[in-house]
Amino acid sequence: MNVLRSEWTKLRSVRSTWIAALSAVAAGVALSVLGASDLLGTSASDLPAGWDPTTESLKGFLFAQLIIGMLGALSVTPEFGTGMIGTSLVFVPSRSRLLAAKATVVAAIGLVVSLVTTMLSFGVVQLMLKGARLPGAGLGDAGVARALISGTLYLTLVALLGVSIGALVRSATSSLALLVGALLLVPALGPGLPGALGDWFGKYWPITAGQAAYTAVPTDDMIAPGLGLFILAVAAAATIVASHVRFRVRDI
Amino acid sequence: MSSANARSAVGIRAEKLTKRYGGKAAVDDLSFTAEPGVITGFLGPNGAGKSTTMRMLFGLTTPTSGTITIGGRDIADLVDPARTIGALLDARAVHPHRTAFRHLLAFAQAAGLDRRRVHEVLELVGLADAGDRPAGEFSLGMNQRLGIATALLGDPGVLVLDEPLNGLDPEGIRWIRTLMRDLAREGRTILFSSHLMSEMELTADNLIVVGQGRLIAEASLDEFVRANTTQAISVRAQSPAELARALGEAGVTFTTRPDASFLIIGTDSGEVGRIAAAGGIALDELGRVRESLEDVFLRLTHDVTEYEGLPA
Repeated sequence: MNVLRSEWTKLRSVRSTWIAALSAVAAGVALSVLGASDLLGTSASDLPAGWDPTTESLKGFLFAQLIIGMLGALSVTPEFGTGMIGTSLVFVPSRSRLLAAKATVVAAIGLVVSLVTTMLSFGVVQLMLKGARLPGAGLGDAGVARALISGTLYLTLVALLGVSIGALVRSATSSLALLVGALLLVPALGPGLPGALGDWFGKYWPITAGQAAYTAVPTDDMIAPGLGLFILAVAAAATIVASHVRFRVRDI
Repeated sequence: MSSANARSAVGIRAEKLTKRYGGKAAVDDLSFTAEPGVITGFLGPNGAGKSTTMRMLFGLTTPTSGTITIGGRDIADLVDPARTIGALLDARAVHPHRTAFRHLLAFAQAAGLDRRRVHEVLELVGLADAGDRPAGEFSLGMNQRLGIATALLGDPGVLVLDEPLNGLDPEGIRWIRTLMRDLAREGRTILFSSHLMSEMELTADNLIVVGQGRLIAEASLDEFVRANTTQAISVRAQSPAELARALGEAGVTFTTRPDASFLIIGTDSGEVGRIAAAGGIALDELGRVRESLEDVFLRLTHDVTEYEGLPA
């Protein structure tokens, strides 16, 4: 409990945490609004089959996830950058406890930021759709609540991914590069690979799989939402284990 | 300052401690002890392995072989590390945007300490008015003070300070010397490193001298001085020529220094005074001079100093 309080103090006492939290929400909502705004001229009859107003309202995740991932990475990397990690380990010699406390605190703040990003994006875009007389989604509709909870968990898992990447590479710049690769480049380019490899990336790359979790109207080429979230959770857990092992054995 | 932890202070012991990077030894078969109640100075040129040794003590760097323990225990086995041992490893190791108070608070919380203790240590190191300033705005001297405050948070019986005098102004250096003396007097174990002999001379009770990762000397400061310095007599007469003749007749060898004084090795000042008196020679000056410890240190580490420029 002491270590958790300590890590919470560390995280809340630097500006970057609050800047990241606010910009994740702001960028998430703004990009979702922007994504939905080109629908404003269309009529309901022009909408494609399988139109999913829930996923439509979470388009801002594309950018928000990057900021939330960096929020996680920044809970670790400055300690390595400044050398403060040495002092932290004098007070908490168990590296496992220190990393676990960091991950827990980031998960907690990540959950709040993710929930706000998700609900605000959803709410604002639904209001827009309503104003444009387009079919929207309500919390009571089939799959919508589940999609929103999954979306929140998706972003939270990305925050944890950020923590483990930060602990693995120990630098903010490298963490950002890896996050851009994992969150944006691979999901965009992977499916273009030839044959089965492209299919695999299109479905099972953990980020792509996780994104399937927050669709309310699943399409055929998509894996089941539950499985998608599970794959992402396993991948995040695996990265955390890897960073933990490396953190334990490597010299500071 | 309370001294509950000071009373139970334990020592630090390194045994055959070795750390190799690739094939090169940064610390090489190093054994020493630092005892409670005294200030132990850890002296060596830059790159001698002092910081690596301290980092191994805190488990930040894993020894290739050998051990370094606190009261016989590995740092990982301490029941209450913050109340047992405090460290200043790198004064610049602070988040530039975090205030001094929050920086200390985070560590106080990790150790289960009250936030009152944070105010106490800020007061103690003279940063009471700077607590809400970001540590990135601090001068190196202020960062050193913040580092000392961090080390003292848990009121530990053992203090390990890596180059604590670096960047301090003369007033700050005096302050930290007094602080270290007071802490040692309370029975604490103090191990502090420096690459400057002059700092050691005024502060340390015991010396551990290292060069290229190897132990060069481990002794009390007095023993070290006696074992490694030669006593010399400096004498200056109103008439150097007369004194030179008198000394020559008495069979005393001397060297002439630029200020026309003579440097005599192997004869005590009383004897020189008698020779002068017998010859009726008036002396302006007669005194003992000691080879400076700085010179001794440079001489001792000379053979093992690797970063020294090669002679042309």
